[in-house]
Amino acid sequence: MLDIVFRNLSTRKVRTFLCMLAVLAGVFLIGVTVVMNNWMTKMMTAELARYMGKIYVQQGGSSYPPFDSSLSQDTAIKLLARTDLMLNQSASAPLIFIRTKRGMMPFMPADEMVIGIPVGQETILLGKAGAAQGVDHFPAGEQGNVALLGSTIAKQFDIVPGDEIQVNNVGVRVIGVLEESSMDSVNIAAIMPLEAVQRIFDKKDLVSSILITPNDVRQAGALAEQLRSEYPSLAVVTQEDMLAEAEEVMRQPLFYMSSMGVTGIVVAMIVIMSTMFMAVSERTREIGILRALGAQKRKIFGLVLGEALVLAMAGIPPAFALVYIMSAIMEASLPTPAQIAQIIGAALFAAIAGGCFPAWRAVHVEPLEALRYE
Amino acid sequence: MSTIIETRNVRKVYGMNGVNVEAVRGIDLAIKTGEFLAIIGPSGSGKSSLLYLLGAMDRPTEGEVLFEAQNIAKMNDRQRTDLRAKKIGFIFQTFNLLPTLTAIENVEISMRLGGMPRGERWRRAGELLQKVGLAERTRHLPRHLSGGERQRVSIARAIANRPLLLLADEPTGNLDSKMGTDILELLRAIATDDGQTVVMVTHDFRAASYADRVLVLRDGRIRGETRLQGAKDSNQALRQLLNLELLRYTEKGA
Repeated sequence: MLDIVFRNLSTRKVRTFLCMLAVLAGVFLIGVTVVMNNWMTKMMTAELARYMGKIYVQQGGSSYPPFDSSLSQDTAIKLLARTDLMLNQSASAPLIFIRTKRGMMPFMPADEMVIGIPVGQETILLGKAGAAQGVDHFPAGEQGNVALLGSTIAKQFDIVPGDEIQVNNVGVRVIGVLEESSMDSVNIAAIMPLEAVQRIFDKKDLVSSILITPNDVRQAGALAEQLRSEYPSLAVVTQEDMLAEAEEVMRQPLFYMSSMGVTGIVVAMIVIMSTMFMAVSERTREIGILRALGAQKRKIFGLVLGEALVLAMAGIPPAFALVYIMSAIMEASLPTPAQIAQIIGAALFAAIAGGCFPAWRAVHVEPLEALRYE
Repeated sequence: MSTIIETRNVRKVYGMNGVNVEAVRGIDLAIKTGEFLAIIGPSGSGKSSLLYLLGAMDRPTEGEVLFEAQNIAKMNDRQRTDLRAKKIGFIFQTFNLLPTLTAIENVEISMRLGGMPRGERWRRAGELLQKVGLAERTRHLPRHLSGGERQRVSIARAIANRPLLLLADEPTGNLDSKMGTDILELLRAIATDDGQTVVMVTHDFRAASYADRVLVLRDGRIRGETRLQGAKDSNQALRQLLNLELLRYTEKGA
């Protein structure tokens, strides 16, 4: 009966096209949701990968980045001075994080920030990122209002070394613009000497957190456990904790996006249902003829359901083409085969769920009643 | 000749807007294999209702409809559908062709529903369209065919499964007299040459004159019957039937 299905669809071109469009929109919405999820996960994992083996000690109850954390610098210095801990002192330092602009997305805690770091220890934060313009470190002993700007923020405001920027209404001279860093937080930050940040933001003798690098990456877990037991009032954040926290933060946007995808499928289902319902009403007579000629109820059911499925299948390839274009634009990873199967499954589910009721109605067309339309 | 279908005290009551309408009121009828029977009567006489009961499209309210001794009234939907697909052919006044299928596809589909193998049904569909004079019109959609051509396709479709019983509901009702004659001759040939049983419902005495036997139905009951085949003068027999009808109207008028 598939030939009859195709004949019906090709005869009612406009209806077929509109129904396909609805399926396309539904599948596209799910596809975009998947791509967005992939994109967010990729960004999150890429960002968190930079923190591998690093431990942040901050005020108890605060989250990472520790904008809301406040520790005494004295505590930080004493902790870092301990030789009994398995920490790499030259690669550990107290830091101060100030958020100057909130992030647009929940999983992006800030769009702009200021990070204060002791002079001479910039590389702990900057890693291999050198200077794109100017210098990539503070002059020895510098405690003035100077800043190294992250690449994103410098590009955004078209700032070059020598320019002056305003930080908390205080003029700060830019002495270097950094290359793009693997850490997104560096790219959107103005990195300044710790003392200068404390002065500008009135946080004398306070820091946000202590960045600790273990002697051996493999000892990070054990070191974190030791710190937790010895400093129960402080929060000891490892890469795993950050991941858990990021997942918690992302749960809501992911839920909303998934809801968007589900809405897409529900809309597609409703469109299929109403279209097929209309088609069955319009074709009551044809269905009656088929029944009169000896078409069993299951064949009529299959005919209507088959039509809904063909419509769904026809909407899937163009929707995927759009999803692939979208993912290319976003530089997000393409849906995995399992995700593709899920999307196709969802579209087919919409077709079956949307087609069942009209098919059930079609099955109950009595041949005699249909032919009485004469 | 054996009896292919018979009815025993068949009644059919329809509920319409809360009012019961008795369309068929206790009809006893037996139709022999190979017979061409015409059922004649005015509108609302119950002739179409009787035809649909004979065709397993409907179930009687009371009584029995025996098709090859099997009571249709006791069959479930699947069994009645199967019976229609394999043993009964229908010709409708308004042709009832599927508008999206071509002439040959309309013929082929009834064989598909009847379970005929694919190759055979396409070959036979072509042959049947040739038989009804539409060899050149096989790929045309119904909307591109004339009324007479559509009815020929409908006849080809109805006989495609070599049904034991061919039911025609006012087959010439929507055709001009020339086309109507062609269709009636075709039905006559199907009964005479192929030995198929034909039951035709009509309100046209001229159409009824092609049958072997004519039943007059009025108010859901059989009011008269005449056998044309074997009559010395079929026109006279028909005239008698016509007189019977006229007499009824005269009596009613008086």
